[in-house]
Amino acid sequence: MKFNIYRFNPDSDSKPRMQSYELNDIEPGTMLLAALLRIKDEQDETLSFRRSCGEGVCGSDGMSINGLNGLACITPVASLKQPIEVRPLPGLPVVRDLIIDMEQFYQNYRDVKPYLIVNDPMPEVELPQSPIQREKLDGLYECILCACCTTQCPSFWWNPDKFLGPAALLQAARFLEDSRDQAREERLANLEGPFKLFRCHTIMNCVQVCPKGLNPTEAIGNIKKMMVRRSL
Amino acid sequence: MSTFVLEGLRPWVIQRVSAVYIALFLLYLLYSAVTAHSVDFDTWRGWLFQPLNSVSMALFVLAILFHAWIGMRDVVLDYVHNIMLRILVLALIIGTLLGSGLWAFRALLLTVTG
Repeated sequence: MKFNIYRFNPDSDSKPRMQSYELNDIEPGTMLLAALLRIKDEQDETLSFRRSCGEGVCGSDGMSINGLNGLACITPVASLKQPIEVRPLPGLPVVRDLIIDMEQFYQNYRDVKPYLIVNDPMPEVELPQSPIQREKLDGLYECILCACCTTQCPSFWWNPDKFLGPAALLQAARFLEDSRDQAREERLANLEGPFKLFRCHTIMNCVQVCPKGLNPTEAIGNIKKMMVRRSL
Repeated sequence: MSTFVLEGLRPWVIQRVSAVYIALFLLYLLYSAVTAHSVDFDTWRGWLFQPLNSVSMALFVLAILFHAWIGMRDVVLDYVHNIMLRILVLALIIGTLLGSGLWAFRALLLTVTG
């Protein structure tokens, strides 16, 4: 099985290059992450990438796989066309090989204040929700912040410091939909303007690549509807 | 109109509303053309002379202007990052659209009155 992997070491390389590797005796059901680990173990220990849980929960090993962002740990190599081309997530600075600098992504995430804001005095007990209120968070809370969606979005590529990107906007929707949150007005006002939300042109790259099967485009559409209702 | 550059929701709503109007008006225009007795300038003038038609045509021109402005603005905000160049391109677009709009209204007035 053939692999073409993006390599860049800022200490010794002036520009990135693609390096070929070949693995034999691939067991059935092998995931891309396992293959990368084998390459690192057996052939080239300088190959660098992030990974942690290895089962699609932590979101560390997002990478561009044959041009589509995904998590290496839940992508079976047998499903991929060869040679398998592996690159770092596009649109963010490369630290080394497949490792990117996520700072801009986290900054945009922080911008939507991704936590409950409650102005009333906190009650002695929990803040209860009805099952219907809780159901509204389904499809929003499951995001693992792997950045696959945001770094597949051209609007984020062109304006990373101004357009928040699908992951941050999905989180904005998650707290706008939350019955316990009391900062709805401020949240919607924060998203006004031509850039933060409205650079989304509904091309749905985010939906195509989300490894958790979430739908940021729908969430963004719901935020737009909330804004219309708020201004009428 | 230039305040539109700094807004998000309003242009987005206007773009959608104008798109619906443009689509409906084009259907109406097509229907009128197909059911017309003959296709010549006098029939066209007669059609435009009816108040409903001249007013809806003027609205159509307005809708096209707003729709085109918001669409072009989006392209510029996406791709033109140098601020001075961005202002220049936006001004050129506004000038072109306003000029075309005035020209269209002039043609409309001349057809109906002249």
